[in-house]
Amino acid sequence: MVHFAFLDWFWVIAFILLMTVCGVLFYKLGKRSMADFFLAGRGLPWWLPATSVYATHTATDTPIWVSGVVYQHGLRGLWYTFFSAWCAISAFASTRIFRRSLAYTQAEWQTLRFSGLGAELLRGWIAGWQVFMNMFILGWVGMAMGKLCNYLFGWPQWVALVLFSTICAVYVLAAGYWGVVMSDFQQGVIAFLVIVIVSLWGIGVAGGPHGIVAKLSDMGQSWRLNPFAFSGLTGGDFPLVWFLTMLVIAVIGGFGMGTAIDWYPEAQRIQSAKTVRDASYSIWSGTALIVTRNSIWAVAILGFFVLFPNIQETAQYEMAWYRIGFEYLPAGMVGLFFAAIVAIHLSTISAHLNLGASYATRDLYHHYFKPKATEKELVWVGRISTFILLIGSFIYGSMIKEITQWLIFALWIMAAGIWLPSILQVVWWRFNSWGYLSSWVANLGLSWLVVWILPEFHLLPVLPDYLQFWIMMVLGGLVYLPITFLTKPEDMDRLVKYYVMSRPLGWWKPVRLEAERRGLVALRAGAAKGGD
Amino acid sequence: MSWIRRRWTAAEADFWTKEDYLTFIISPLVYVLLMIGTALSLFLLWYGFFLLGTGVILMLVMLWIIDPKLKAVSEDYEAKQKHYLEDLEKIARWED
Repeated sequence: MVHFAFLDWFWVIAFILLMTVCGVLFYKLGKRSMADFFLAGRGLPWWLPATSVYATHTATDTPIWVSGVVYQHGLRGLWYTFFSAWCAISAFASTRIFRRSLAYTQAEWQTLRFSGLGAELLRGWIAGWQVFMNMFILGWVGMAMGKLCNYLFGWPQWVALVLFSTICAVYVLAAGYWGVVMSDFQQGVIAFLVIVIVSLWGIGVAGGPHGIVAKLSDMGQSWRLNPFAFSGLTGGDFPLVWFLTMLVIAVIGGFGMGTAIDWYPEAQRIQSAKTVRDASYSIWSGTALIVTRNSIWAVAILGFFVLFPNIQETAQYEMAWYRIGFEYLPAGMVGLFFAAIVAIHLSTISAHLNLGASYATRDLYHHYFKPKATEKELVWVGRISTFILLIGSFIYGSMIKEITQWLIFALWIMAAGIWLPSILQVVWWRFNSWGYLSSWVANLGLSWLVVWILPEFHLLPVLPDYLQFWIMMVLGGLVYLPITFLTKPEDMDRLVKYYVMSRPLGWWKPVRLEAERRGLVALRAGAAKGGD
Repeated sequence: MSWIRRRWTAAEADFWTKEDYLTFIISPLVYVLLMIGTALSLFLLWYGFFLLGTGVILMLVMLWIIDPKLKAVSEDYEAKQKHYLEDLEKIARWED
């Protein structure tokens, strides 16, 4: 339990008021149209979506997770957080292509890239899955806050889940994405500053930079300062092959759309940027901040390690960074720290409330139920969807212990079998909707087989995760590649339209030649060489 | 550095060229250097500052390479955006 002085409560209450009022101030902009409610009118300069990318991906459970891997692995644990580096290439490849498509959501993009029944099935599936996933993430993150407040104040876990999500819903319901992105800006700035202050404080408490290095050396733990301290080629707890697999997944994944779970919130930020250039810089710089933030955390957590080197229980050392703040900051500063945690939490909650509602409104209600709906009606459906997501998150939050394993499984599904198809849909003209759809279905079955069923019957050993990834990629290819070639290519008119609009990267030569023949794009001879 | 092209017409910038491919290589490298360089710099290790400095310089080089092209793509595309948005609404409303 932590004792709050008057000044601590002042920080917390002042900040919550500031944030809520700031969000609600944009009520008039948010209600103008669906494009305003979900994309802030597609007119934001790069630094606003950039801070939103950073703030959204700094959740209450992020320092817990980073503390866990860094306490266990030292600086090499930073590679576990490096999955966000898919934005390195994406910012200049798939972000550019996606921004030019103008799709509100990834589900809508499927009907621009593909055509016919397959495209509609994909749109419906991705929209439904995203509504579910956002509700799930809201419950997950909400319960992380519940656990933290239980540790700090002894509140029952549901209290913080309901309290903070409801406060956040006030400005999301009122102003939609305008409220999200404007409050994300102030939340992002406050959270980054406080992360720096608390981490530097922790480093000081642990003896300063030289003190930590010296203590690690005395303890025979200097390897923790080496980000490349591999345990071997394939053996141990940090093999080189795992590292290389992670690099491939993270970096090459940037050529695709949907190769990482974070693509979906990023897609909304990409479309809210006012130009292609703004979209690229927002994604790149937001992620650069995330990568830097992880390093700042890591140093403080190594400071915690030299103070408490023998903690065995994961649940204990995962609280490393929070313990630095709550146990070592002076009175009056603890409230500022908690206010920053509230900022971290609300930025994630607001983003997922609005994102889930965008799929429900744009892809399900507008596209399938009422295509002729007015803008006013769509904004209201957006609000109702937001409210439903809020209530759903409370229900999921209350069930989260039982379904955590399912969530991990769902995320694993995302990473493995559809990783390559998610790239192929962007870079290869011949890959069609049936190929992509079959990869989702195949991946669902194969992941069960490879991860659980075959090992259970001793038909396959329990494999390390990097091997599971490669096996599922090969097995999935045996399903979706034949299906792609056995079914017709997408309609050429649709492909040409998509090509002219988005100018995709990769193997698009037949489509480009057709577009040139129709006089829709400049002849390639006069331009620089490269591409397909 | 005449090997790097810094003047683009919109039509030329629409194609994927060596400037894009160079960016694809430099950009992940910058993230790696920022991540490792920041951590080691906070430990006041000299090679941390070296890695961080290299990361910042490479970031500036990357922006120098890609920014003119992104500007050209953006300016041309914004002019067409209104027409494309109308098409998008037709698809959403089943009018396509």
